[in-house]
Amino acid sequence: MMASAPRSETQSVIPALAPTRPVIWPPRARKTLSNGLEIVLVESHTIPKFTGELFFRSGNAAVAAKAPGLADMTATVARTGTQRRASREIEEDLRRMGADLATGAGADTSVISFEGLVDHSNDLLTLVSELAREASFPADEFERERRQLVEGLRIERTTPSFLASERFRRALFGSHPYGTISPTEEQAMSYCVEDLKDFYQQYYRPGNALLVMVGDFAPQAMLTQIEKVFGSWASGSAEPAPDPPLPELASRKVFLVHLPGSVQAQIVVGNRAITRKHPDWLRLTLANSIYGGAFNSRLVMNIREQKGYTYSPRSGAHPLRQHGYFSAGAAVRNDVVAATLTEIFYELDRMRSTPVGEEELDDARAYLTGVFSLGLATQDGLAGQLATATLEKLPEDYLETYRERVMKLTAADVQEAAQKYFDTARAQIVIVGDRAQIESQAALFGVPEVYDAQGNRI
Amino acid sequence: MTRLNIPVESQVLPNGLRVVVSPDHAAPVATVGVYYNIGFRIEPRGRSGFAHLFEHMMFQGSANAGKMVHIKLINSSGGVLNGSTHYDVTNYYESVPSNALERVLWLEADRMRALKVDDENLRNQRDVVKEEVRVNVLNQPYGGFPWLDLPPIAYRNWSNAHNFYGDFDDLDAATLEDVQKFFKTYYAPSNAVLLMLGDVDTDEAMQLAERHFGSIPSGPAPSPANIDEPPQIEERRGVVEEKFGTLPAVAVGYQAPQRLTPEWHAAAMLDQALHGGRAGRVYRRLVLEQQIAVDTEGGIHYPVGDLFDYNGPTLMVTRIMHKPEYSVDQTLAAYDQIIDEMKEKGITAEELEPIKVKFRSNYFSMLEGGHGASIPRYGLMHLLACFSLFDSEPSLVNTILDPFMDVSSEAVQSVAQKILTRQNRSIVVRQPVKKGAA
Repeated sequence: MMASAPRSETQSVIPALAPTRPVIWPPRARKTLSNGLEIVLVESHTIPKFTGELFFRSGNAAVAAKAPGLADMTATVARTGTQRRASREIEEDLRRMGADLATGAGADTSVISFEGLVDHSNDLLTLVSELAREASFPADEFERERRQLVEGLRIERTTPSFLASERFRRALFGSHPYGTISPTEEQAMSYCVEDLKDFYQQYYRPGNALLVMVGDFAPQAMLTQIEKVFGSWASGSAEPAPDPPLPELASRKVFLVHLPGSVQAQIVVGNRAITRKHPDWLRLTLANSIYGGAFNSRLVMNIREQKGYTYSPRSGAHPLRQHGYFSAGAAVRNDVVAATLTEIFYELDRMRSTPVGEEELDDARAYLTGVFSLGLATQDGLAGQLATATLEKLPEDYLETYRERVMKLTAADVQEAAQKYFDTARAQIVIVGDRAQIESQAALFGVPEVYDAQGNRI
Repeated sequence: MTRLNIPVESQVLPNGLRVVVSPDHAAPVATVGVYYNIGFRIEPRGRSGFAHLFEHMMFQGSANAGKMVHIKLINSSGGVLNGSTHYDVTNYYESVPSNALERVLWLEADRMRALKVDDENLRNQRDVVKEEVRVNVLNQPYGGFPWLDLPPIAYRNWSNAHNFYGDFDDLDAATLEDVQKFFKTYYAPSNAVLLMLGDVDTDEAMQLAERHFGSIPSGPAPSPANIDEPPQIEERRGVVEEKFGTLPAVAVGYQAPQRLTPEWHAAAMLDQALHGGRAGRVYRRLVLEQQIAVDTEGGIHYPVGDLFDYNGPTLMVTRIMHKPEYSVDQTLAAYDQIIDEMKEKGITAEELEPIKVKFRSNYFSMLEGGHGASIPRYGLMHLLACFSLFDSEPSLVNTILDPFMDVSSEAVQSVAQKILTRQNRSIVVRQPVKKGAA
């Protein structure tokens, strides 16, 4: 069809926002089975599929003393065989159900995540249950996966963003499990199948687990299906991860990781901060969003849009279960390393010393609440939000009240958070790049400790 | 089988702008996109990387919204925005709480009407783009492999073969005059489609489109570019040095059949059979069984696009990272066995059936996602845009699955025999400078 003639000429006035439409919370069902398995289900009929995650509240940190990355390797190999199915059958069964499945572990959790067509939900749940309860850890699959891991670790050691995170986390957390993000080759080679089985036996327990599912189903009917599949799982829970003491960060420190031939420098700056359960969490989130957490933030405007130093400046508040950290970073051309650090610190200190204006505050609050709504509009997004709230045992109404709590924050809240957590005097600075190109610039901010890409002090 | 019934309303404004609306009120958010029928494939010669650099310039200011106003207005409305440059389209998109719909349209209309940028903006974004190329390609293990490596080997027409991210000399040579000329040539309403998805009322959305875009003067349609390739008559090979990574890697690309043809439907099933995750034949054989490779991936128009978002020559690509103890020739010999088997024995109905189930399932996921959880319905928007610009038929989103579901195993074998030939392929090897063991 053809449209009628246009009604008006160029409009130079920015249209006002229409009234906000309320977020509609989809029906949810919650239940804890008698074996301890916690379940959260939500309807979402956007596509005829469902997505789910079976979490265990134990990850690499729980066994860091044995070897870093052991939980991740356990999850990887758990996918390769059960008492009923060989690796090839698992993969072909998944395809037959139109499903995708991934396993892995971070510092605090291990997870089996899956998505598939609703017509095959029972078959997929049955397979997930087998992987969670009856993984067989075949020796040949373990050997194959370990070799793949080792080759992956070698490539990581040539990747600037990995090297920066690795050194930064070590600087913040030292020998605490959070201080190590990846095993060395030697540590990976020392893994043995028995260690994986031990981890699996100890932590893949219903009392340590949370099943979150979002999708095109009726929650009550799905709950019945889940109980049939998971109800017979023998109960059991698990010990929380140890939380050894953290290193004292008394002063600003500079670390340089030498990656020969780099044509760019990867910079990370930050401090330890807080977890999501801390009363300051939203204050810090808002301060971060104004500083460098959004496109329209001070750091992005400064070092990208005004100065053109970088493509991808960003800051973030990163919550782990026991602790958290704040970081700001950018990949910049070699000759502006010192200039970039100057701006990163200038903007941090400005947040600490000067209250944000009303307009900037309004904009940032609107941004956080809006992005929160966007995050609830897809099955994946909704599952992620619910998983976080439940895993961290946040208050029951955490999601429902999130937006109003953000809207109540003030300029003083932001400044207070910046003063506490943007601790420039004790900031840890990591720069990854070609030493000859950047060391003299790094040295303007402190005497650099220099490492090679293997993590050795040089 | 669930029949797709996605609401799709469309119209064409008198100035030639296509408008597509797809309402869904499940969440109070809207996604808006403007797609222009211009990608990096047909950017001007001597200006490699220009289409992408230009995309950056579209965020630098328009007649009534100066530098940073676009970004500030979207973020402060609670939304996110971005743009991206593809082979044959360039897109600009926003996801916002739905009360900001009109504001988004105003901004997009303002920059479709008149770009207002200066030399300082151009210098700034040229620097930003160079850091983008460094962080994604020049300072990254396997950066640009194989999406920047294969085209110069596989193609003879400069449009298909050049460096899409841009040689730095070419980026430096770009002028403000180039920017305005490019805008005039390719950014007219008749070369674009506006899409509104999510919590929008169809009538209201159509009226708002007319109000804000209707008075933008129509421009002449750009003259069609020649992107034809001469027929390939021999296998083509090249080697690229891998500066950082420790594993040898090889990519193979076969010229793929033309879109929306029966051969293309069959090739999509062939692609799933070969590259469909860990059950796909290539991964199963090379990684899981023979353990020559540590990873393989692949697809049609892989890795910077998908089956639906190109409109010209493309490749079906296999990417293999293999163990250093195997030579490239040994790796390729094992790969060729898989290919030869497919040509000789084809695929059984028992293998094809689950492949179709998986294809359908992937398609549903594509509708909703495609960009993590941050841009709801990005995938649906992308499909609607491509079907509008390439085929003038956005409602293809509801029917495009059917012919794939009707592909026979004979058709899969026959297309395998036709396209999986030595003379129809190009191979690039990434040769690490460093040894594997540190």
